[in-house]
Amino acid sequence: MTGVPLNIDWQQILLHLLNFAILFFVLYLLLYKPVKKFMDKRKAGYVEMEEKTKSNLEASEQKKAEYEAKLQEAHQEAEDIRRHALEEASAHAKERLDQAQAEAGQIIAKAQQQAEDERNRIVAETGEEIERLAKDAAKRAIFESTSDAFDSFLDAAEGKNNE
Amino acid sequence: MDKKKLTRFIIIFAVIFVALIVGIILTGMTKSGGHEEIGVVMKDSVLHERYKINLFGLIEVNPAMISAFIVSGVLIVFAIIVRIFVIPKFKEIPGKFQMLLEQAVELFANMAKENSPHCSGFIGGYIFVAGTYICIGTLFELFGLQASTTLGTSISLPAPLSDINGAICMGVLTFLVILGGGIARNGLKGLLKGLKEFSLPISMSFRLFGALLSGALVTELVYHYMAMSFVIPVLVGVLFTLLHALIQAYVLTTLASTYFGEVTEKTEKVKKEKKKKANA
Repeated sequence: MTGVPLNIDWQQILLHLLNFAILFFVLYLLLYKPVKKFMDKRKAGYVEMEEKTKSNLEASEQKKAEYEAKLQEAHQEAEDIRRHALEEASAHAKERLDQAQAEAGQIIAKAQQQAEDERNRIVAETGEEIERLAKDAAKRAIFESTSDAFDSFLDAAEGKNNE
Repeated sequence: MDKKKLTRFIIIFAVIFVALIVGIILTGMTKSGGHEEIGVVMKDSVLHERYKINLFGLIEVNPAMISAFIVSGVLIVFAIIVRIFVIPKFKEIPGKFQMLLEQAVELFANMAKENSPHCSGFIGGYIFVAGTYICIGTLFELFGLQASTTLGTSISLPAPLSDINGAICMGVLTFLVILGGGIARNGLKGLLKGLKEFSLPISMSFRLFGALLSGALVTELVYHYMAMSFVIPVLVGVLFTLLHALIQAYVLTTLASTYFGEVTEKTEKVKKEKKKKANA
């Protein structure tokens, strides 16, 4: 007994302290630090990998958006071309139709004109024939009897019609 | 084993058990050991006054001192083997043993980071070593290693921290670490903050000593009476020791990291935070 209560012994406390200090340095340097270092390194690797993946994802998202915009643009362009072609085709068809209608009008007018001319010509010719026949009949009537003249007129008219 | 054999086995076991109990009661051998009173045994468990062990022929020390050396020696050899043969072969996807080591390190590193977020590097290492020492040291008594005392008798080596000197060492050292951290981070203010907790070394030392000693005393008590030596030691001896090992390691490391976090916290930051809170 050293006179200290509970058998407290300063020498043994110091021995315990020395023992723990040695244990601390060995365990800290040989076990805790290397394992912690390995874990931190791996964690940093994972963080870096995650960041890389994130940036790759962002880049791919951006590219996707670009491609989608381009696709949209191409769709729009195709639509414009189609619309333009339709308009052109429609205008062309209208032009052709107008042209055809004009041609048809011209043909009809020409035909009408021709018919009119033909009718006028026939009317004129018929008038002339009637005039000539009338003149012949008058001449005969003067020189022959009325009945004979009338008969001859009828005979002449019949003969003309048979021709 | 079929049903018939099982029944026969249970009957034989029950007969032997009952015969032993009856024998103990009838022969009046409820007090075993015979030559030692329980009071003397328990007093020696607390004070370690009677049984001393010669340390290399230089000084006589308490048995717990030898336990401390053995535990430290085992841990140091383990650390060296792990450092040379295991750590260089660590893989990105850990195996079982690597995972165990990583879990242990991460547990204390995270505890340090949570309780002392501004300065967790050193205290993480300290609580890792302290926690391991307390846990393994407490479990050490389960092995019941025998040592020869100066009186020529044999003694079962106790846990290193069931000796008041070992417990004082841990308490004082932890206090010094906290104080040192405060001075290193905050100078004089850190020192004052640390000294404010002047009762810390005493409370820590006696908490450790009391907790570990209570386990030892209960075990001594149980083993002293032969009638209590059936089944009960498995519960009180093994389970209590396991619980003590984990609880005491957890308590000391949590307290150490929390106090360390308090004394190493920058004073300016605290003031600014208080101002911000007041403004909010």
